[in-house]
Amino acid sequence: MGMDEPKPQQVVDADVECVLPTPPWNQRMLTRLSIVLPWVLAFQQRSIEQRVLAGFGLVFAGILVISAISYRNMTVLIRNGHHDQRSHEFIQSLAATGEAIDDAANGHRRFLVTGDESYLAAYNTLRERAPEYIGYLRDLTDVDSIQRGRVAQLEQLISQQLREERAAIDLRNDTGFESVRTMALAGVARTALDSARRLQAQMEQDETKALAQRVIESTTTTRSSIILLIIGALLLFVLLVAVYYLIRHDITARRRIAEELHRRGERLEAANKELEAFSYSVSHDLRAPLRHIDGYASLLTKAASISLDDKAKRYLLTISESATKMGQLIDDLLVFSRMGRQEMLHGTVNLNQLIASVLHDLRHDLQDRTISWTIAQLPDVTGDAAMLRQVFMNLVANAIKFTGTQAQASIEIGSRMNGQDEAVLFVRDNGVGFDMQYANKLFGVFQRLHRADEFEGTGIGLANVRRIMHRHGGKAWAEGALGEGATFYVSLPMARTSA
Amino acid sequence: MTLTKPILLAEDNPRDAELALAAMEEHHLADKVILCHDGAEVLDYLYCRCPFKTRLQGNPAVVLLDLKMPKVDGLEVLRTIKNDAALKPIPVVMLTSSREERDLVESYALGANAYVVKPVEFHQFLKAVKELGVFWGMINEPPPEALSRATGRST
Repeated sequence: MGMDEPKPQQVVDADVECVLPTPPWNQRMLTRLSIVLPWVLAFQQRSIEQRVLAGFGLVFAGILVISAISYRNMTVLIRNGHHDQRSHEFIQSLAATGEAIDDAANGHRRFLVTGDESYLAAYNTLRERAPEYIGYLRDLTDVDSIQRGRVAQLEQLISQQLREERAAIDLRNDTGFESVRTMALAGVARTALDSARRLQAQMEQDETKALAQRVIESTTTTRSSIILLIIGALLLFVLLVAVYYLIRHDITARRRIAEELHRRGERLEAANKELEAFSYSVSHDLRAPLRHIDGYASLLTKAASISLDDKAKRYLLTISESATKMGQLIDDLLVFSRMGRQEMLHGTVNLNQLIASVLHDLRHDLQDRTISWTIAQLPDVTGDAAMLRQVFMNLVANAIKFTGTQAQASIEIGSRMNGQDEAVLFVRDNGVGFDMQYANKLFGVFQRLHRADEFEGTGIGLANVRRIMHRHGGKAWAEGALGEGATFYVSLPMARTSA
Repeated sequence: MTLTKPILLAEDNPRDAELALAAMEEHHLADKVILCHDGAEVLDYLYCRCPFKTRLQGNPAVVLLDLKMPKVDGLEVLRTIKNDAALKPIPVVMLTSSREERDLVESYALGANAYVVKPVEFHQFLKAVKELGVFWGMINEPPPEALSRATGRST
């Protein structure tokens, strides 16, 4: 993600450069780019997780859309299939009804001529089964459809035919052939029969037409379904490939970063080892010549004490003092460097005991001094006891040192809670204080706000304090004003009181 | 109290050696000091090899060992002394510039009897060397010669 950020800038640069030489094409491309580019940029600014998620979201949405459309098409096909079957049955039943009507008409005519009642079988069948035929046909049509209306019409026509034929049969039976001769020759219920036949033809034609239309519809639906599925599958495939490349790109980038981190870790370890060797050599080799300078200067002072005047003696003393001072600086620097490398031993630290032992160690500095102490009850904290001891050793020693010029010196050590998990401890004095504009310089290595002849010290103490506090996950800061004392704060994680 | 046994000082740096001798001189101990310039020489002395073939028999009252020395370094000498039953009773004091924790840990692990960091300030150095000389050379009762010889024979 961090690595991806510079990309959009590169894209813009590249496009601007490559489109400049050909203006007309450039114009067109630029408009097109101006539409696409914001999207591309917006997309590239997203994190890899968001991009992959977006990719999978699109794939999922695609699957949903294809499924929905396919489901709809399938429903249409199934419904059409049902309708087709019904139409076929309808056409068949219509034909059967028509046949029954014709049979009845033909049989009836023969009866009228011959008087043989056996010819009335078809007529009787029609009479008995007409409601059944009609009911069947009605069931095969939709409610309120034209065909349903026509079925009702057909029913009326059949009953009209049956009624007229019944009348003719009764006449034949009562008065004999002569009275029905014209009827037998011309046919009974001609209008009803003709209408029924026309109606039947009309119904069949319409049903066949509807059937053909549905077949066309089904074919179209099937074809569009297939095309949709193919396009959808292709799109999904492209999307999946894109997502795959995104993920692969990310994995490669991560692997590269991991390798880089590993390499840096190794380099860091090597550098650390080198540093250790360096400080070892400083501690061992740099001290020796300093010892010699001081030693020989002292020996010289002793050997030539009679012949040396006071000036020469002072020079020699300065040589010795400087060498000693440098030795002190080296020692302090080594302690500081060790403080950064040394392994921490975490434990619960009783700060009250720690302060007491610090004051005990500083008792020599407290001789000939009147200081009013205010030491509050301090909480237990978690940390490296030896390191924390050094912190308070520095802070308390500083407070003692910088109140040296005060007739009424007072030093306060206290604490306050900062939320549940953090304790803030402070050492306050009414000493010389400092200008707040130098507050940050206080904690730098070898930074001093006072001249060496005012207050002694190498300027490493507070640097150590800050480094130790940082290693504890805490902070160190100071407040003060020139001539009005100073307060040094450290914050520490609280010790968990285990029940 | 008179010093009968010599103090063996192992110091490769001639200036440090001179300063140490000057410090010893303050207490008239300098003539009892035998100076070795590297670890190999210390071992030569202890095992009476040339150039110390003809020296008087007996172990020194104390060996003051520098850590960093050419040829055989201080820790190596210490290891050899403490692994040899005949030499083991000799008190060995590390006298070094190093305050590094690992040097301290290793020295004590090998059986050093004391560890003294050479102070940079000459007066402190003077005091330290003098006190070492007085303590190990005069106050401290060295192991009886018979003990070393007896154990020496038994090995």
